[in-house]
Amino acid sequence: MYDRVRQSQLQIILDNAMPAAWPDKDDHELLERIQDGNGQAFAALVERHSDRFYRLAYRYLQSKEAAEDVVQDAFLKLWENPALWQPQRNSKFTTWFYRVVVNLCLDLRKRKRPAPLDDETSVIDERQPADEMMIRAQEQNALEKAIGTLPERQRTALNLCFDLELTNQEAAEIMGVRLKALQSLIMRAKTTLKERMKDYL
Amino acid sequence: MNGNRDEKLDNMLRSRRVEPAGADLAQRIILKARSLPQAPHISFWDSMRQLFAEFHLPKPGYVLASALILGVVIGFSTPQDRSPIAEESSASVQGFLAADETLL
Repeated sequence: MYDRVRQSQLQIILDNAMPAAWPDKDDHELLERIQDGNGQAFAALVERHSDRFYRLAYRYLQSKEAAEDVVQDAFLKLWENPALWQPQRNSKFTTWFYRVVVNLCLDLRKRKRPAPLDDETSVIDERQPADEMMIRAQEQNALEKAIGTLPERQRTALNLCFDLELTNQEAAEIMGVRLKALQSLIMRAKTTLKERMKDYL
Repeated sequence: MNGNRDEKLDNMLRSRRVEPAGADLAQRIILKARSLPQAPHISFWDSMRQLFAEFHLPKPGYVLASALILGVVIGFSTPQDRSPIAEESSASVQGFLAADETLL
């Protein structure tokens, strides 16, 4: 018991002494340290990846707060139970974690329908002239609405390939489908979008 | 024409905007994690050791349990009673029952 207390005290001291970012450590190494209870490795992993997973969650949920909550939940699950990550079963941390985040987003969406996107919620780039801004905002709004009507798998494929700029192979791996199936999903999604966005294209 | 539409759609898909996350998102997650205990990583052998530890008995307990097991083993391994006294009592019971049957 005493040893365990001493060990955790020592861990805290070590955690505080180490630098927050470990650019020389890859995700696998950080995860191994997290499995040993190293908080600093966890901090480095969160700082490295939280933005990209937030971006994915935002695409699904269209809400900053909800997306932040999902990313937080996903990382805290990993911290609480680092054995969830099994390097022998998962090729790449990000591939596995994208799947975790997507599943959390889908669960949340099942429980709570997202608020419909209206003109006020579209994000406007303030560096553009007013007219162009208006047109861009309308375009974005129409695109988001059109994407919102796509089947779940087509939407996921689009988000992974276009928004997160993953390769088709990575996206297929995350979705657990063959490369050809992913390409077919993207093609069908784009055909539908072209039809629905014809006024803007 | 169709190629232009494809290209424009691709550009639109690539330039979809995202409301940026709070600047302190990572810090919030890290801070929250500090207040959460981490589930210990337990291997198969550790879990087996724990399971056996659950059945740990104090020494008198072992003596009592051993005596009990020994008693049960000896009880079952002893052959049925075939002593002359037992056979005699069995014969008298049979005789008593047979006498009842002749009356009926």
